[in-house]
Amino acid sequence: MENDSIVFHGSLQQLLEKVETGEMIPRLQASHAPMCKFFTAYYVISGIRHVVPLVHGPTGCPLYMSDFVRTRECCEIRGVPLEPTACTTLDESHVIYGGEGKLLEAVKEAYAKYHPDLIVILSCCCSGIIGDDVESIAREAEKLVGCRVLALRSEGFGGDFRSGYEDAFKLIMELMEPPKTKRKATINILGARWGPNPTEFNWDLDEIERLLGDIGIQINAVIAGGCTVEQIRHAREVELNASWCYDWGQKLGDLMQERFGIPYSRTGQPYGPTATKEWLLGVAGPLGKEKDALEVIEREMREVEPDLAYMRRALEGKTAVIEISEFPGPIRALSLARMAEEFGAHPVVINVHPYTIKERMPSIRYILETGVNPEIILTKGLFHLGSFRSSKETEDELEAIVREYDNPIFFGNSGRFPPCPVVNLSLMNPAFQPQYGFRGIRNIAALIRQALENENLPRSRLFRGMLYGTRAR
Amino acid sequence: MEQGRGEEPAGAAAGSPEQCTDPYLRCAFNGAAQTALGVSGSALLAHSPQGCEYLVNNAFASQECDYMETITLCTKLCVDEIVHGGEDLLARTIREAKNLPISILFVLSACGPEIVGDNIVAVCETVQPEVKFRLLPIECAGFRGSQYDGIDIALDTMLRKLVKGGGEKVPGSVCLIAPHANANPTWTADLAWVHQALSRMGIRVAATLTHRTPLSAIENAASAEASIVLSHDAGQKAADFLSASYGIEQVCRGIPQPIGMTNTQRWLSALGERFDALKAAEEMVTEGERMVMGTCRRKWPMARFLYRTPAAIVADATVGIPLVRFVTEEMEMTPELVALYSSQRQVRELLEQELRSLGLSPKVVYGTDVYKTRKALAEVRPRVVFGSTIERHASEGLGVPYVVEVVRMMRQFRMINREYFGYTGILNLFECVQNEWTMAWRSKEKRYQAKW
Repeated sequence: MENDSIVFHGSLQQLLEKVETGEMIPRLQASHAPMCKFFTAYYVISGIRHVVPLVHGPTGCPLYMSDFVRTRECCEIRGVPLEPTACTTLDESHVIYGGEGKLLEAVKEAYAKYHPDLIVILSCCCSGIIGDDVESIAREAEKLVGCRVLALRSEGFGGDFRSGYEDAFKLIMELMEPPKTKRKATINILGARWGPNPTEFNWDLDEIERLLGDIGIQINAVIAGGCTVEQIRHAREVELNASWCYDWGQKLGDLMQERFGIPYSRTGQPYGPTATKEWLLGVAGPLGKEKDALEVIEREMREVEPDLAYMRRALEGKTAVIEISEFPGPIRALSLARMAEEFGAHPVVINVHPYTIKERMPSIRYILETGVNPEIILTKGLFHLGSFRSSKETEDELEAIVREYDNPIFFGNSGRFPPCPVVNLSLMNPAFQPQYGFRGIRNIAALIRQALENENLPRSRLFRGMLYGTRAR
Repeated sequence: MEQGRGEEPAGAAAGSPEQCTDPYLRCAFNGAAQTALGVSGSALLAHSPQGCEYLVNNAFASQECDYMETITLCTKLCVDEIVHGGEDLLARTIREAKNLPISILFVLSACGPEIVGDNIVAVCETVQPEVKFRLLPIECAGFRGSQYDGIDIALDTMLRKLVKGGGEKVPGSVCLIAPHANANPTWTADLAWVHQALSRMGIRVAATLTHRTPLSAIENAASAEASIVLSHDAGQKAADFLSASYGIEQVCRGIPQPIGMTNTQRWLSALGERFDALKAAEEMVTEGERMVMGTCRRKWPMARFLYRTPAAIVADATVGIPLVRFVTEEMEMTPELVALYSSQRQVRELLEQELRSLGLSPKVVYGTDVYKTRKALAEVRPRVVFGSTIERHASEGLGVPYVVEVVRMMRQFRMINREYFGYTGILNLFECVQNEWTMAWRSKEKRYQAKW
C-alpha cells in the first residue's frame, strides 16, 4: 500500500515484536493521558456493595470519581443507592506533618457515619509521597471498627491505569476466606467494575448470565460488579473462575488459580458464534456441563441462523477495516477482527497504539496464541500532539486507507466518515446491546444490515463539522 | 447573629473537627485549571501524574473550550520523576509544544511535583527564550485548598504577572471577576446576561477574569474603573488586589448575585448609581419584570401552588444565597434548610444579612458535604430541595417529593446555555420547578395493559 501517512504496516505479531524490542516506543504523546492508577483502583472498589472508599488525599482525586462513577454511572445509570466517597481532605499542614493520625480518625469516623461492610483506604499522590503508612493504619484501624479495613497504595504516579485494576483485584483476594464447602456448578465472573449492569438495557454481562443460567451454572459473585463482601468471602467455594473480559479478569483469575488452586477459564470475549461457543464450553466443560452447554448452543444457533447466514453473505470477500482508537477498547476490536474473519472478511486493524500493546501485553499475547493475528496499520496522526477528540488527521488518514481497499466495510463507530459502509459498534448506543453471545450476534447483524442497506444515505454534515471542523470535506 | 434551627460551622460535626468528608468541591488544581482555560489563545500544561489531566478535562468542559482551538498537555509524572524530580521532563514537554499557535502556555503544578520540590517557575524562566509564546507557571497543588482557592491562586498569579499598570483608565469600564466560580452548569449564560446588562447601561467590559479572555485584555485589566465579582465563592481577593494596586473600585459588593426580581433590581440599581445610568437600570427593571409576569401569564405554569412549602437549598454560595430570596419571594416557599458548599466569612455575612432581611430562620450548614447534607435533610424533612443530582439520591427515603436540579445536574443535559441571572433567569428557574413538578406527577407504572 502506497501511503505517506503509514508508519507501520504488518501483523499484530510483528507490532508486538517491535514494541518488545523497543523499535516502537510505547509512550503516549503529552496530549494523551489515560486514567491513573488511583482512578482504576477506585473503579474496582466502587463495584463492591456497602463499601467506603476512603481516599487519603486532597479533594480533587475523589471528587472526580464520586461525580463521574458514583453519581452518574452508579446512581443514575446502574440503580445503585448513593454510597459514600469519603476523603481525608489533606492540606498543606498534613503534607508537612503527615496525615496518619487524621487517617486513623477518619476510618473510625467513616465507620460511625456509614456503617459499611468494608472500608478501603486508597492513597493518592500526596499521601504516597509523604510516606503515610496506609497499610499499618488499616491494620490498626481494623481493631477499632466492626468491619474489615484494607489499604491500597494507589498513588496516581505509581503505575498506569492497568496497575490500579490489578492491584485492586489483588486486594479483594484478602477478603476471600478458606472454603467450608465446594459449590457444584458455581463460578465467579471476574473483571467487572463500577457496580452492576445498567438497569434499563441488557448488557454483555446479562447475556453471559442468561446463557450460564440456561446451562445450569450458578454465579456466586460478579467481582466487582455490584457484589457483596459476603459473596467475596465465599469466592473460594466455586469450582471455576471465568471472565467477562479476558483483559480485566486475567490477573485475578491467574492469581486465584496460583494461590487457591481454583481453575480459571482462559477464553476470549464471546464475539460471534465460534468465540461464544468457546467461551461457554470453556466454562461448562470443567464443570461437567458440556452436554447441557452443547444443547443450549444448538438451540441458540438455530435461533440466530438467519442472522449468521446474513452475516456470511454480507461479509464474505470484504475487507473489514476495524479502528481501535475510536472503538471502545482494543481488546474488543481484536475480538471483532476474529469474528469478521470467521464470516469470510479480511480484517485490517487501524491504529492500535504501541502504548496499548505494552499496557495490554498479556491479553495481546493470549489473542495471538488463539490464532488471531490480523493485519495492522498505524498512521502518523496517531503519534501527533492533539487530543483523542481532535482527530482530524487520523480521520483523513483512515479515509485514504479505506479508498485503497476493494470492497471495504468499516467497523468502529459513527464518529468516522470513511467512504464505505460504517458499522456503528459504539457502546454508547444501548439500543444495540449486548454485543456478546447470541443476542450480540443478532445486534451485530442488525448493525451490519443498517450499514449496508443505508450506505448511500447522506451522512451528517453537522456531526462531521462538530468533530473535525468546518473545513472538513 | 440570629440563629435558626441551628448552624453547623464548617468542618465541624457534633463539636469535633471532621476527619472524613464526602466533599462537593474539587481541589485547587481544578480551580486553577478552570481559570487558565478561560484565556483564549492559550494552552495548558499540567505538570502532574496523568490522573490530574482529568481535572483539567473537567475544567475544559466548564469553560466550554473548543478542542479545535485549545490543547491541554500533561507531563504524566511517574515514579521516576517523583524520585528524581520532573523538571527535565517538564522542560522537554514545553519544547515539544513549541510550535503550538498560542500566545500563552499556562504551566500548572499538581500535588506530586510540588511536594518533591520541582521548581516550575525556574523551568519556565529557563525555557522561555526557546519558545515564542509566554510561559506562566501557576503553583496550585490540590492540597492548597478547594477549587475556589485554586481560582484565587490562578487569578492572583495572572494579575501579578500579566497586568501592565500605568495606563490610562477607560471611563465607564469594568473588570468582571470569577464568572466561572458559579455552580450553574451553564454559567456562561449568566456572564452573557451581565455583558448585555452592562452594554445597555453603556458600561464597557475591560476584561473578564476569565472566560474567552484574550491575553491582551488581561494585560489591560488595570484600565478598568471598577470591578464586579460575579461569585460569592471566589474572586474577592482579586478584586481587593485590583483595588489596592490600581485603584479599581469594586461595585455591587455585599449584594447577592442578580437571581430573582429583588436581587436583580438591587444589582442593576447599584450599577446604575455608580455609572450614572440609573434611568437605563430602571427601564431594564420595569421591562424585565413586565416580561417575566407576561410570560408567566401566557405560559400559565402550574407549579405555583407551593405556597410556604418547606424548602431546602443546597448549592454554592453564588447560586444558593440569592436563591433564598427567590424561593421565598417569587416562589412563596419557605427555606428551612440552607446548605452551602463554602464557608468564608463574607459568605456567612451575606447569607445572615439576607436571612435577617427576610425574617427567616432556617437551619444553616456552611461548608457542607454530602454526609452533612443528607443528615440535615433527614432532620429538616423539606418537601422541595433546590440542589443537584446528588441531593436527588441523597434524599431518597426521606419523603422529598420534589428535587429541583439547578446546579451540577447530571440527569438533564443542556445544549442551550441557561442563565439564572436577570429576568430570563427567573423564567429558567421557574421552568426547572415546573418540570420537576410535572415529573413528580408522572405515573411510575401502568395499572393495566392496553388491548392493541
